[in-house]
Parts: sequence; C-alpha cells; structure tokens
Amino acid sequence: MSTKKILALLLFCFLFACAYGNAYAGEGAGGKQETAISKKIDTKNLSGVNLLIADLYNNDRMLYAVVVTLVMAVLGSIMAFGTDLVLKHFGMSVSKISHSE
Amino acid sequence: MNIFNITLPVAGIEFNVLLLIVIGFCVGVLGGFFGVGGAWIVTPALNIFGFQMSYAIGTDLAHIFGKSIVATKKHSKMGNVDWKLGLISIVASVIGVESGSQIIMILERTGNVGSIVRWSYIVLLLSLSIFMMYDYFILRPSKSEPSESETKKQSKKPRKKKVLLSQRLYKIKISPMVSFPTSGIESVSLWIVLFIFFFTGFLSGFMGVGGGFIRMPALVYLIGCPTAIAVGTDLMSVLFSGAYGCFTYALKGRVEIIAAIYMLLGASIGAQLGVTAVKYIRGYGIRLLFAIMIAFAGIAVVIEQVYKMTNIPVYSTIAGVLVIGASILMTLIICTKLFKSVKREKSLSM
Repeated sequence: MSTKKILALLLFCFLFACAYGNAYAGEGAGGKQETAISKKIDTKNLSGVNLLIADLYNNDRMLYAVVVTLVMAVLGSIMAFGTDLVLKHFGMSVSKISHSE
Repeated sequence: MNIFNITLPVAGIEFNVLLLIVIGFCVGVLGGFFGVGGAWIVTPALNIFGFQMSYAIGTDLAHIFGKSIVATKKHSKMGNVDWKLGLISIVASVIGVESGSQIIMILERTGNVGSIVRWSYIVLLLSLSIFMMYDYFILRPSKSEPSESETKKQSKKPRKKKVLLSQRLYKIKISPMVSFPTSGIESVSLWIVLFIFFFTGFLSGFMGVGGGFIRMPALVYLIGCPTAIAVGTDLMSVLFSGAYGCFTYALKGRVEIIAAIYMLLGASIGAQLGVTAVKYIRGYGIRLLFAIMIAFAGIAVVIEQVYKMTNIPVYSTIAGVLVIGASILMTLIICTKLFKSVKREKSLSM
C-alpha cells in the first residue's frame, strides 16, 4: 500500500473525527449543563507540565487531541525499540513473531 | 504510599503512579503472552480505583494506541495485510468507534455511563471466562487422540463433510458482493464484513477495548482469512481504530494523557516480556489460570457495582484488591516461568 493511501486514510479518520467527534459535545441541556467540550480544568493549584497540559486542554481542544495522539505514537515507537534493546541485553530472544497456518 | 501519588489534571484526581505502571505492566505481560490485548482489564481497574468511566475508557484507548505500535513492530511489520480488507476494516471500525464513543457521551450526560458500562464488562468478562473454561475442559479433551474403541466406531460411520461457518456466510448473497484475492476469498457480502468491523469498532469505542479478541476469530472463522493475514489485518485495524479512539476521546476531553503515558511505559515492557515468554513457556494449563483470572476481574466489577449501589466503601476495596491481585498473580506466574526457562537455557548452553 502506498504512502498516499495511508495518508488518505489518516485524512479520512481526522475529518471524520472533526465532523462527528464533537457532535454532542456542544449541546447541553438548554446549553447550561457542562458538556464535554465546555469542561475546563481549574488551573489554580497546577504548575509545570500539569499546568501546560491544562492550558492546552482549556484553550484548544483540537490541538490537545492532536498532541495526545502524536505523543502516544512517538512514545509507543520509542518504547518498542527501547525495550527490545533492554531485553536483548538480558539475553532474551526478541526476534519478530512469524505466523503460519 | 502517598509519596507516589500524582495529580492527574484532566481527570481531576490524585492517583498512585506505581499502580498505573503496575496496571500497564500486567496488561502488557498478559496481552503479549496470551495474544489478546488485555486492555479490558484497564477500564474496570481504572474505574474501580477512582477514574470516572468515560475517562477510564478514553485513557485506556490512548494507551492501546501506543501499545499497538509496539505490537505492530513485534509482528513482522504488518507484512501480511490484505489491504482491501484492511481499508474496509478501517472505515467500518472508525464509524464503530465513533458510534460507541457518542453513546458513552450521551450516557454520561444522562448519568448512567458507569453502571451500563460496568454491566457490559460483567457480561463480557464472565462470558469470556466461561468460554475459555469450556474450551479447556470440554473442547480440548475431545480434540485429543480418540481411544481405540472410538476409532473403530468412527471408521464404521460414513464421514460427514464439515461445512465451515465462513462457507455458510459466503452463501448469503446480499449485494454488493466483494472478493479478497489476497485472502483467497472469492465472494462475500460487503455487509457481513462491514458489520463485523463496525461491531468490533463499536465495542472499542464503548468499552475501551482493542477488540482483537473478537476481530481475530471473526476474520478467521467468519470471513475465512488465513491466520497470518488475519493477524496482519487485525493489527492494522487496531492501529487505526486505536489512533482514532485516542483522538476522538481526547477531542471530547476524556483522555488523561499523564496516566496513559505511565501505563504505556509499563505496558511496553510488559508486552515485550509477555511475547518473549511465549517462546519459552509451553503447556496449555496456564490458559485455565487465565480463564480464572478473567472470572476474578468480572467478579471485581460485580463487587464495584454493588459498592456503587450500596455506598459501603469495603466493597470498593475488595474489588480493587481482587482485580489487581489476580492480574499481579498471573503476571508473576508468567514472569517466574520465563526467568526460570531463560536461566535453564543459559546453564544448558554453558
């Protein structure tokens, strides 16, 4: 599968989430009830990374969603390689799994 | 243990960081060893230990996405993917995930989300446990070598030709019909394929599970995919639906990123150990222990539900001890067996 097709799939997922991800988020009971998108974190007692995350969460939910997804993807990749190296160091076989019928 | 407590700003609670790593590690080992994601322990565990249900589901999905990258690397880089089937799987799964997550948000607004998802987990975990025990005690002995008298009886009877479930489904001709040449499938109704992937996507969005424990058997037995292609296609599906689940729940503000990172850290190490253990540990008996562990997890959710109804704190404590105790015990058994096997192998090679 070409990179173009993968990018097209990712674009589909992204657009679908933008279109429907917030379908109910903006609607409360008469607009008064706190809903998913309107929820804000109280930043009074926060500092450092927590404050950074809370600010991102409060100010730009779309950017928060993109950052969360990218962070998990990057950390997943780093940890996949990192743990391989550590286990190899302890003498364990970490070769890939092959599947057969 | 308060020194290990951290503030989780999005979920708005204090949580023990060691507990997060341990939950991730246990799920990683169990998922890596038994081949099913194991994420269905995370949502109930997080909920029992204080997460609101929607945050537990969103955070679980975020950690599943990170973990699916580790799994993809481990399983030959998705080398065996039926891309046509994969494309359909992604579209249907994504719609399923979104439907599940929207229902969660509606239930959250009506105030029923915790109770309904807990009951869903009770049904899922106990059914899975009963099925695994049935497989261990009933199906497996019958699959083993028949006795001499049975062999004689069988040889006298005319052999009935077995019709596979997938072949029966091929006979359902609801247009449009599609073919999957890579998987060797000549013609199957698109609706059947869409339904399977939509259903697993829905489960993913509704319960925060990867869905592999349903999608994999469905690909093999219902659609008729060869196992190797089913694994590759399932991995691709988990990767995309996991990414979508992570994104859409974060967009709804229901992913606690710090908790997801700590769990991913534990899960990555655990998954590598679990997958490595498969090569060293033999024997079917450990599957029975796993079935018992799932039953304990199901019972823990029942007890948590009792706590929510009665508000007696001791029930919540028992539920927490049960779910984490069963997971730790099972993980310890696998790790001990793994390290003993590695040690034995090393001493033999010397």
